[in-house]
Amino acid sequence: MKNFSNRYIFIYISVLVLVVAVLLSVAAVSLKPLQKENREKEKIAQILQAAGYTDIQGDILVKYREVAEVINIPQEGSKDSLSLIKIKNQKDGSYNYVISLEGKGLWGPLWGYICIGEDGNTVKGAVFAHKGETPGLGAEIEKPKFANTFIGKMLFDENGEFVSVKVVKGGVANSTINPIHGVDAISGGTVTSNGVDKMLYNCLSKYVPFFQFLKQEPTADLDNVNSEIEEVSENNINE
Amino acid sequence: MNIKKYLGPLSKDNPILVQVLGVCSALAVTAQLKPAVVMALSVTIVCAMSNFVISLIRNTIPPRIRIIVQLIIVAALVIVVDLVLQAYVYDISKMLSVFVGLIITNCIIMGRIEAFALGNPPIPSLIDGLANGMGYGAVLVIVGAVREFFASGSLWNYQLIPESWYVENGGFYLNNGLMSIPPMALILVGLLVWIHRSTTKQA
Repeated sequence: MKNFSNRYIFIYISVLVLVVAVLLSVAAVSLKPLQKENREKEKIAQILQAAGYTDIQGDILVKYREVAEVINIPQEGSKDSLSLIKIKNQKDGSYNYVISLEGKGLWGPLWGYICIGEDGNTVKGAVFAHKGETPGLGAEIEKPKFANTFIGKMLFDENGEFVSVKVVKGGVANSTINPIHGVDAISGGTVTSNGVDKMLYNCLSKYVPFFQFLKQEPTADLDNVNSEIEEVSENNINE
Repeated sequence: MNIKKYLGPLSKDNPILVQVLGVCSALAVTAQLKPAVVMALSVTIVCAMSNFVISLIRNTIPPRIRIIVQLIIVAALVIVVDLVLQAYVYDISKMLSVFVGLIITNCIIMGRIEAFALGNPPIPSLIDGLANGMGYGAVLVIVGAVREFFASGSLWNYQLIPESWYVENGGFYLNNGLMSIPPMALILVGLLVWIHRSTTKQA
């Protein structure tokens, strides 16, 4: 066996690492646009799914542009505006609002889209996704079987208080929570279920002024939505 | 060139059935046929290319750091395969998730580099890598096909068992849910090993 000097070994490994790093960078940069497009398409498919679109013929991007538009609502005391997607519901043709959700589960991020009806209260559909929850346990949140249990739930109680939709461990039937505000958690996926619960509360609570506005005027023209929402939230503070 | 020598991994020296290497991923990605085929292709490409590259530079590699050099080459190839899958077959890359990254720990690849590529010229090493990858892939495809057929009545996402046969549509047929979980893959691989051993003459 040949004898290699330390100097040779150091130079050899440095050059090898450099060459490999350059090759990987080239591959990563050149494939990035395609990967981005795939992720974008997946996101749009999830938004459409939340709004009840199950079988889409043709290009989903075309369909999306046809039925959906993004609305930005300026937030008081913040430069960032809240955004949501106004979308026509496939089943009944009403205008629904899709809100994107972000939270964390047991092993990594959770995200999803929830579709709220034009009354600003009723859940019309939901889609959840995750980075790496345990298959068979937490990962069950991405199955329609779980997401569809949200359909028909209400965000506000009869007094108009925001309660979100609770994900209840041990089942809604065995708890004190009104079944209209709760869904059953996933057995063995407690941390993920709690993550979904927190995610819904945190993300939806920011939109409460908007929902209250919708409740008052479900068919309002959204062009002047911004000023009116401010009015509504000011009234609430005064109350 | 003695072709028979290179065909060993397809049956007589099959990495999964005889050497019992790479079983972990064989259990994890075989719930459906499509991911199983993509995984088989990925492993075959990585195995062949890493064998080829290592064999090309085999005389320059200092023996003291050869495992590090092998890991760098294999890791780079695995990352490239992962990037390509994410760009062109996004759905499947999501299904395979971590298991593409874990190809690097697949014993078949490091095993073939150590046992073959370090001591043989590039072309035979390439063929050896291809043969081993295909031997691994063949088992994956068989297990994937059986599991998908019995767990969801389809192959390559084409429904083969008519919808009207199902109980919920008033028929008599029920999918076998057991087939969709990994323990059943272990049992299937076990059965394959049994069939293989009893039909192949010991050398």
